Amino acid sequence: MANVLWLQGGACSGNTMSFLNAEEPTVVELITDFGLNILWHPTTGLQIGDQVQDLLKDILDGKVQMDILVFEGSIIQGPDNTGTMNLFADRPMKDWIKELSEVAGYVVAIGDCATWGGIPAVPPNPSESTGMQFLKKNKGGFLGPNYVSKGGLPVINIPGCPAHPDWITQILVAISVGRIGDVQIDDYHRPKTFFTDFVQTGCTNVVNFAQKVDGGFGTRGGCLFYEVGCRGPMTRASCNNILWNRQSSKTRANHPCLGCTEPGFPHHDLKKGSVLKTMKTLGVFPKEVPEGRSKLAYYMEAGFQKILPTNKRVQETSK
Amino acid sequence: MSVTELNISPVGRVEGDLDVKVYIDNGKVTRAHTQAAMFRGFEKIMAGKDPQSGLIVTPRICGICGGSHLYCASSALDTAWGTKLTPNALLLRAIGQASETLQSIPRWYYAIFATDLANKKYADKPLYKEVVKRWSAYVGETFQIGLTASGLPVQIYALFGGQWPHSSYMVPGGVMCAPTLKDITRAHAILAQFKNDWLEPVWLGCSIERYMEIKTWDDMLAWVEENESQRNSDLGLLIRAGLEFGLDKFGQGVGKFLATGTYLHKDMYNNPTIEGRNAALISSSGFFDSENYHEFDHMKVSEHVKHSWYGNQEDGLHPWDEPLPTPMKSQTLHDSDFDNQYSWSKAPRYDGHAAEAGPLARVIMNANPNNKEHQIRDPLFGDIIKKLGPSVFTRVLARVHEAPRIYKFIEQWLSEIDLDGEFYVKPVEKDGKGFGATEAARGALAHWIEIKDGVIKNYQVMAPTTWNVGPQDGNDNPGPIETALLGTTIEDPLDPVEVGIVARSFDSCLVCTVHAHDAQSGAELSRFKL
Repeated sequence: MANVLWLQGGACSGNTMSFLNAEEPTVVELITDFGLNILWHPTTGLQIGDQVQDLLKDILDGKVQMDILVFEGSIIQGPDNTGTMNLFADRPMKDWIKELSEVAGYVVAIGDCATWGGIPAVPPNPSESTGMQFLKKNKGGFLGPNYVSKGGLPVINIPGCPAHPDWITQILVAISVGRIGDVQIDDYHRPKTFFTDFVQTGCTNVVNFAQKVDGGFGTRGGCLFYEVGCRGPMTRASCNNILWNRQSSKTRANHPCLGCTEPGFPHHDLKKGSVLKTMKTLGVFPKEVPEGRSKLAYYMEAGFQKILPTNKRVQETSK
Repeated sequence: MSVTELNISPVGRVEGDLDVKVYIDNGKVTRAHTQAAMFRGFEKIMAGKDPQSGLIVTPRICGICGGSHLYCASSALDTAWGTKLTPNALLLRAIGQASETLQSIPRWYYAIFATDLANKKYADKPLYKEVVKRWSAYVGETFQIGLTASGLPVQIYALFGGQWPHSSYMVPGGVMCAPTLKDITRAHAILAQFKNDWLEPVWLGCSIERYMEIKTWDDMLAWVEENESQRNSDLGLLIRAGLEFGLDKFGQGVGKFLATGTYLHKDMYNNPTIEGRNAALISSSGFFDSENYHEFDHMKVSEHVKHSWYGNQEDGLHPWDEPLPTPMKSQTLHDSDFDNQYSWSKAPRYDGHAAEAGPLARVIMNANPNNKEHQIRDPLFGDIIKKLGPSVFTRVLARVHEAPRIYKFIEQWLSEIDLDGEFYVKPVEKDGKGFGATEAARGALAHWIEIKDGVIKNYQVMAPTTWNVGPQDGNDNPGPIETALLGTTIEDPLDPVEVGIVARSFDSCLVCTVHAHDAQSGAELSRFKL
């Protein structure tokens, strides 16, 4: 049994929509079988108006226990740090969050906007958005670098644009079944169980990557790292391990990984030549190489493979 | 009953933040103002960035209709760059758009709309007990089936786009994917599961084919009574309870409708142009002025900002001529001056008129007698709008009416994909202007782009919610939801569920807050705890 309050700031509801796609467990099972009690949710909450305001006040007064505060969307601070670009229940959402985070058992930030600021925080950041405990790669964010919830953890970040439903539900289940002690977080506060391996792990085109067989849009087979900007080798997430909608992943559908679980997303701030293209040095060499590799060694290996591919079979495809 | 102030903040179950101020006199709403209460500035973020930024950024404007934004963003670049689109590319984009809309029907109906019918306001109605048993949030018998089944259509989206929500698989020149036989067969199987789990046994109580024979309102009423299975289906119950609860009696709106149309025919839009778009649509575009149909012309679209919190802009500009938004100081609903600026939403107008966007607008266009052979020709809502007029009930019926047809389309389009054909033709990037549009689940969506010196100079998005919740225009004429609230009877000021029901019948992409004020003095009178 765990009481959950879910709020949205500078959000698009994408994480809520993702959450509603959950299958193991489904959202209905989360409530009926795992005793999760959703105190209020903007999409499915039944209480309206003063009922919600009273609930928020009761939580702040300690009359209602809030085990988990789930936040989706950026913290909107504009204009001029007033927060009036995002009013909720008669006051700036940021003021609610500041107070609610002080009484929360655990705070879970869901999606890139809540974790790192996301797309709203791309320069010129018109709404003065930030993440709960990070802005891009910088620790701090809205609640500050030293924030810990009553349960003793900093904000648990479940990034992704959106976060995968299993990443969300399984952390909620972990808390509700008393396994929070097993949740380890990395330097960016991401649960290691989902964000240790790279997206490339499990990618069906990993052989083509190794053999430097280039892919592209509208084709079968081939690796998307070389021309169309796939960030699978630099992005920690389990997209090719726990599939999306139980069917696929970006890279399996020939869609370059956008690196949305990393705090730089959208990478290079969308500048010219960076969207769905591989940024190059000297027009040939990828600016970014797989994490943990030296650039020179990587370029040499890639050059050899291009000239002398060790396995031509990977270029064959079936329909 | 005297003039009353109500204060509901928030009314949930949608996305974003909307406040509504209503003035109530003798139990009826006499004046209403909508206030969009959140600003992120996506158009400003895209300025000066890579021309393809819209493919990544705009789906994140709305996670509920992100695929629809993608459809628009890729189409806007198609027209700006003069791309080539193969039949496969057009089919795969249409399948994605249709899957997103099909998902939205049970998800919206059960999670957002129908739970209001379980409100105690209707407790004295004979069908109330059955409604509560089926549609109560989380525990309702068919709520659970419908909400779970809503995840299936987007599994098809994931096969081609990698995931839903937030894919960018539609790109200028086509699509990224090149599906294989296993993707197609799997998509067919998932679609069938959606039909077998929910659409036929739970929702229709009959076959899709039988339902699609309905051509008039009388046919529809006869269909309900035809047998127990149809009568007891969720659609049968919606029709019976909807009429019994009086949903057909309020929430009329402006009576003018706009659809930008969607699903570009695989053989008719291979060289995309703005001028050629209307003729290539399968779900047709148009403007219906409550009597006559008019061809859609995007140049007749304008945005008003007299009552919006933006500066440096004259009223009534076409999106290509609009500057990027300059946010002004905003106020809470309580402190807003409704003679001046009071919303983050702009007020779009078509040929000067406020117009309702949404499924009702779409099915009215489908009843246009001038529709071509390749376009949807379905007279039902031409008849319904004549006999019943617009209302909460008509709007909801229009939304759910689309499910069987969309199902058949996806099935057909999957069967037309040529696995040996091309999916993408790399375009040549250039400067220029573009326009792309579609029908998101909740209505007309359009993007306008201007590219200069290889980067975005201007990007303007007009969403269905902007059409519907927009404030007053330059002539102080109210928007569709502002109008739809007028005359609504608030039976119990302690529980003004009617206001929420009107707003939710539009599926407005915002969270609602309601204040009610003295109609004469405008002063707030008292606050009711809800």
